[in-house]
Amino acid sequence: MTGPLQATTLPETLSGLLGLNTNDPLQWFLAALIASALVGTLMLTNTALVIWAKRKITAAFTDRIAINRVGPFGLLIIVADAVRLLSKELIVPDEVDRPAYDLAPLVLASSALLGFAVIPMGNGIQIADPETGLAYVFAVASLASLGLVMAGYASNNKYSFLGSLRAVAQNLAYEIPLVLTGVSVVIFAGTLRLSEIVAAQSETLFTLGGLAIPSWYAFVNPFAFVLFMAANLAEVGRNPFDIPEAPNEIVAGYMTEYSSVYFVLLYLGEFIHVFLGAAIVTTLFLGGPAGPVLPGIVWFLIKIWAVFLFTQWTRSAVPRVRIDQLIEIGWKGMLVLSIANLVLTAVIVGVLV
Amino acid sequence: MSSNDKTTDTLSTQDARMGQGADDRFNSPLREAFGSTPFILTKFDKFMNWVRGSSMFMLQFGIACCSIEMIHTYAIKHDLDRFGAGVPRSSPRQADVMIVPGTIVSKFAPRMKRVYDQMPEPKFVVGMGSCTISGGPFQEGYNVIKGAEEVIPVDIHVPGCPPRPEALIYGVAKLQERVANGESAPVTVKPYEMEQFGDLEQDEIVQKLADQIDEDDLVMRYNWTDSP
Amino acid sequence: MSLEEPRDAKPEIGVTDDGLDYDALAALLGDTLLDREDHVTTEGFVVRPDDVQDALRTLKQEAGFDHCSCVTAQEYQDRYESIYHLKKYDDPTHELSVVVPTSRDDPVSQSANDVYRTADWHEREAYDLVGIEYEDHPDMRRILLPETWQGHPLGRDYDQTQPQVVTLREHANPLQEDHMADDTDTMFINVGPHHPATHGVLHLKTVLDGEQVADVEPDIGYLHRCEEQLCQQCTYRHQIMPYPDRWDYTANLINEWSYARAAETLADIDVPEYAQVLRTMSAELSRMAGHFLALGTFALDVYGEFTAIFQYAFRDREIAQDILEDLTGQRMMHNYFRLGGVVWDLPNPREEFFEKTRDFLDDLPAKLDEYHDMITSNEIFQVRCVNTGVLEPDVAKEYGATGPVARGSGIDYDLRRDDPYGYYPELDWDVVTEDGCDNYARVLVRMQEVEESAKIVEQCLDLLEDWPEDERTLQSNVPRTIKPEPDTEIYSAIENAKGELGIYIRSDGTDKPARFKIRSPSFSNLQALPEMSNGEYVADLIATLGSLDIILGEVDR
Repeated sequence: MTGPLQATTLPETLSGLLGLNTNDPLQWFLAALIASALVGTLMLTNTALVIWAKRKITAAFTDRIAINRVGPFGLLIIVADAVRLLSKELIVPDEVDRPAYDLAPLVLASSALLGFAVIPMGNGIQIADPETGLAYVFAVASLASLGLVMAGYASNNKYSFLGSLRAVAQNLAYEIPLVLTGVSVVIFAGTLRLSEIVAAQSETLFTLGGLAIPSWYAFVNPFAFVLFMAANLAEVGRNPFDIPEAPNEIVAGYMTEYSSVYFVLLYLGEFIHVFLGAAIVTTLFLGGPAGPVLPGIVWFLIKIWAVFLFTQWTRSAVPRVRIDQLIEIGWKGMLVLSIANLVLTAVIVGVLV
Repeated sequence: MSSNDKTTDTLSTQDARMGQGADDRFNSPLREAFGSTPFILTKFDKFMNWVRGSSMFMLQFGIACCSIEMIHTYAIKHDLDRFGAGVPRSSPRQADVMIVPGTIVSKFAPRMKRVYDQMPEPKFVVGMGSCTISGGPFQEGYNVIKGAEEVIPVDIHVPGCPPRPEALIYGVAKLQERVANGESAPVTVKPYEMEQFGDLEQDEIVQKLADQIDEDDLVMRYNWTDSP
Repeated sequence: MSLEEPRDAKPEIGVTDDGLDYDALAALLGDTLLDREDHVTTEGFVVRPDDVQDALRTLKQEAGFDHCSCVTAQEYQDRYESIYHLKKYDDPTHELSVVVPTSRDDPVSQSANDVYRTADWHEREAYDLVGIEYEDHPDMRRILLPETWQGHPLGRDYDQTQPQVVTLREHANPLQEDHMADDTDTMFINVGPHHPATHGVLHLKTVLDGEQVADVEPDIGYLHRCEEQLCQQCTYRHQIMPYPDRWDYTANLINEWSYARAAETLADIDVPEYAQVLRTMSAELSRMAGHFLALGTFALDVYGEFTAIFQYAFRDREIAQDILEDLTGQRMMHNYFRLGGVVWDLPNPREEFFEKTRDFLDDLPAKLDEYHDMITSNEIFQVRCVNTGVLEPDVAKEYGATGPVARGSGIDYDLRRDDPYGYYPELDWDVVTEDGCDNYARVLVRMQEVEESAKIVEQCLDLLEDWPEDERTLQSNVPRTIKPEPDTEIYSAIENAKGELGIYIRSDGTDKPARFKIRSPSFSNLQALPEMSNGEYVADLIATLGSLDIILGEVDR
């Protein structure tokens, strides 16, 4: 059941700790449930922190202070914001497409959360480690576009509709380069299993003045890394590719009509998605949870927050491209580059290994 | 609402604006069910008031001159976000506070009313500048609404033409204080309420417009003489 | 259309070395000319209501009046009158007014829309506010007031207390059947009046074909604050001056100059040289503040909400505002000019003011470099802005575009130089033009104009510093009440941050103007928006709107 490189997954560890029998499906399910709850809570806490961090980061980029009155460093704004949004009136406009309108926020938020099931976060925190881990992550991450279309189409609002159409076009254009670039990593590692991809990056690439540089794929293949980061920005819809939302053009895109709880879900979903993107980048290119001194989970969190910081940076500093330019960059630029990268990688791996 | 409208002729404007049902914006069905106010709900109310007073999403809403000073309030030097009130949302569905920054004219009042109605409860309004108090320097204009309160209830008025950013910050902080203390604007009835055209009294003007306007169209009728 | 016809190479009729020869122009019009009136800076040629097009076309094509600056409509006791204020882009001191009287019973006049495209909106405004109807006008509807408005408020017998009914029709239901054309797959969408990109309350009726704009029609009037009526109710001496601050509320102070210039020319008031320097300096500081705001909000449109560029632009605007506050006592609504001068001298101690302003100017080049680093040399920004929102010079002239919009299209037109006033002729500065005709060119023009303004302020500071203490006259002797001769008419313009801001005043012998008409640059510039954005993408429509830098207070007045 387990490969040679694979560490034990979180449900297994939990079963051991709680004395559950892993062969009993019911008890196994219970262990998996507890594990999922733990990981889910961790990620949701992370995302809740975003409410505060996002404003502080943006403020830092724009020479401001931002929230500092509510609690220490304004941290209690997280409680205030969350409770306030949840307690607002839930407006469901006339003639919205009911089941779709209600389901869309759920789809968006849960699809991103699902992805974390297979991400190795260090210290044995990984709910499952299937052989097709990478394919699974990409698959659930793109489920979000379904949520966006549902939200946009069901809202009975033209801005939302435009926003969701943009989201689909954008995701189509960027999913392929994203996956193709991911595949180049697979060629290096020779596996789709995420824990093995991480393990493959732990070897030393070269030693620089006594400092062992690990063979993270970001160092091995910087070109693929840059490609992946760019495609990832588009995938999660941040500047310069935030056109599905584009508050100045189409108000808030697919979010326009949502209020209260649904808005919280969309908002959370969006940021969980950013974190999922960051987690994929971390796993594929930044050596996953590997790092000196600190425990793996801390390194993992540092890395995903670093990628998050990058998305906020581009958001503050880079103009938004136009939808046709975005499609053009996607199909004519990124796709070609990612295929070139794939072929190049295949040749290098084929020749060298 | 419209039944109250009919009585504006006999009531003073202020009485008409106060109306019934003032101050019941926070009363939940839960509390109605209990009849009185049990301890746990009081604590909960207090918590909710703190929550609503500590964090606010503003509606990204610019009308006139004051909006420039409003942007300054959001921007580097004044930084309204320090008070947890610096996130402008462009969609009214996600906003808590509407700062009305400028003169409201007849053509815009129905639209502003619509935007206000689109915001989810509990919602608050800060009237920025003299124009939202009385029409300000433009009060005598044929097209100018004599204050935002003619159209929507206003919680806090910030005087000035335009108010300095500091003044607006003070206004927002004052609003937060009031919300945290569980006070809300007493104004719930407005002289200018949107109505269906077909329901209007058939006077000369309505007859003249009868074939231009659909019966179901929402309209706002301005009785300029009734304005303060 | 006259667009395709080649321009005459021969010298234009009526041009002499020291201005216009009105007799030659009168001879050009021949029989169509009924009468000649004397206006303060020009002459008014009276033509019959059904000869308007002929007369204007002759003047445009043969005498070179290619700029229809403004159309003023007014009602007299016995007649209505529309006045077409004509100018030349090459030399705006060559002015001519074409006066078209119509009877009170049947106020119908021929539309000038065929000759000058810009007349379209101006005539709609005249119809809306005064009640003159224009024949052959393509779209004779109300423009500023709601469609269901009763009466024409600037007419003589308008009853301001009568009730009005205003509909909410456009927004009743955005998916309503009638908004979708049957035979096409286009979509109608309302951008505004409450929309983050409109910078105020503008309503764009937009028809989209996918992501592309098939048609856009600006719907204005959501901030029509009756400024003309209010100015007509105020006395010349002090009461009107606060209002101009509220027209273009991003670069407030310059607007005061428009009224000051018109009224001073009308009442023949001199302005002391020292006051002129102060005026010039404060106006340029104000222009800088306006351009910073334009830059910031344009960044808002292209970058997304509340990004770094936006905030930096406001940081710099804040400093300019601070300096102006030191000088005038208010951050925005300065009310600093008086007829015949300014209200105060520099604040005491003067050295502090000089130091503060010089600090601002010294920091400016570094800041502008930063902007160029972050904005204009950003490749994504260039991709977004170059060749979008193209406004060809010919089209710009047709629409009466002025200011940075015209100069971004390569039209070398700046009233500060071409129709000099204030202290500008004595100072060393350049008019900035760019030939790009696109959004990028307009941004560049604004950024370079900030540099030019800084040059002007610098020179003014030098002058003020060295000005002998006993010659610091702030105001000339102006009578307490100003009562110009009855029936004097003046149209004069200045260059504000958005372009040519013109004021028409007709006096009736009292201390209040009988007609006060504002020609706002944004009004004419906005009119060109459909021309610039049809066929472009939605995102470019928003960017184009941002680069036009319209201020709704000025558009709607």
